[in-house]
Amino acid sequence: MITDADLLIGRDIATGARLPGAELAAALGPLGIGGGLVTSLRSLLFDAPSGNDEARAVAAEQGWHAAAGVDLRDPLTALAEVARAASLGVRAVRLAPDRQGVPATAPGLAAVARAAVDADLLLLVEGDVRVVGPALAGLGASAVFVDAHFYHLGDFVLLARDEPGFHASTRLLGDIDGWEVLAAEVGAERLVFGSRPGWFEAAAVVDRLAAGGLTPAQHDLVVGGNLRRLLGVPA
Amino acid sequence: MIIDVHGHWGPWFFSTDVADAAVNLRVMDDCGIDVQLVSAVEAVVYDPLTGNPALLPALEAHPRLRGLLVVDPRELDLAASQLEELLPTGLFAGAKIHTHYAGSPGGSPAMADALALLAEHDLPALVHTWGDEIVALADVVAQVDGARVVAAHLGGPAWPLTPAAAERTDRLWFEPCWSTPAPGRIRWVLDRIGPERLMFGSDATLIHPAVTLGAIRAAGLSSAEEELIMWRNAAEVFGL
Repeated sequence: MITDADLLIGRDIATGARLPGAELAAALGPLGIGGGLVTSLRSLLFDAPSGNDEARAVAAEQGWHAAAGVDLRDPLTALAEVARAASLGVRAVRLAPDRQGVPATAPGLAAVARAAVDADLLLLVEGDVRVVGPALAGLGASAVFVDAHFYHLGDFVLLARDEPGFHASTRLLGDIDGWEVLAAEVGAERLVFGSRPGWFEAAAVVDRLAAGGLTPAQHDLVVGGNLRRLLGVPA
Repeated sequence: MIIDVHGHWGPWFFSTDVADAAVNLRVMDDCGIDVQLVSAVEAVVYDPLTGNPALLPALEAHPRLRGLLVVDPRELDLAASQLEELLPTGLFAGAKIHTHYAGSPGGSPAMADALALLAEHDLPALVHTWGDEIVALADVVAQVDGARVVAAHLGGPAWPLTPAAAERTDRLWFEPCWSTPAPGRIRWVLDRIGPERLMFGSDATLIHPAVTLGAIRAAGLSSAEEELIMWRNAAEVFGL
């Protein structure tokens, strides 16, 4: 089964769509996705502490891992939430500057990212990798860019050459050879399966995986091995 | 049988190695695509003057690739000349108009003039649509006698406008490729416009066909829907 780094639950105020944890769990099986790393939209859009409690509860119930969302519009609370997440054994923090209308140049973004790195947490990062990627460079961060688009693949490769902890999600790398180019340029260790089921047509990513030119060893890394390594969890 | 009405041939300016027509054919084989309508990338993003003729050797060498002659509505004299010169080769099945690159929105007078020219040649057109221009394009199609148009991308993020566009005219069909597909989009559209109005397109070699094939798979087509969407509608509109 596939492990998906880009699971979201809750309500998206921008679209009005709503996806509770149980409904997401029911949708994963037919896609061949066994679980993954879940964040609550409540934490990204309204209230990080209660949203993260929700995500941890869903993760515990479903056998998934939780990623703590932080709200960069309130970087002081975000810093506290990073510390709380680490103390609770959470292994990842999700950053959503675009969703929150926060520029990549905001001091809070760098401060929260630095705190997460100091706590040895993985970063899940939304937004244009050409913009948010450079803002996170030089911190020694382990990061998965969940909105990396194949239009910007060359820029991601350049970033990843200098940043050994930078990874791309599969979701928007839907061109003919993006997965294979990335594997050839910086290694399949840098590609992490993400499809954002329920919010994105995840079957498109699943079918792109099936059509891909990855070796079996690369395939295993992409669908689970890399994320397990980043989270520090056993197979 | 699968006909892909939205393909490209030639190099892209992104970090991707797809310039050779062999890539088109390899991916078509991998995805079960029998025929692909292709426009020259050069003609779309730079210049039809050189891009359209550059496509000819690929079409001559690979009969599974059929041409879409790129028309820039701002240069209809060139388009008319190339239609006279290139259509007799029998290698082109339709035209391609890109509203963004060619600076000609779907509802513009220039689009109406271009579609009128194509109608004179009884040539259907695949027209890029993004945003609410999909409805404005439908109004233009309705105004131009004989125009037959396939609206590419369902307007992208404006895909909920597809039913409104479909109501404007029955000479407008729709094609759903998109690199960032919203969940449930194809079934939602299909249930409102009917399977006679939708046809498969991939945007290869920009986008892997598996992306749109996956989105279509998620729509759970009936066998009757699949026949219409995956080839029959395209065969009828483009005379394949």
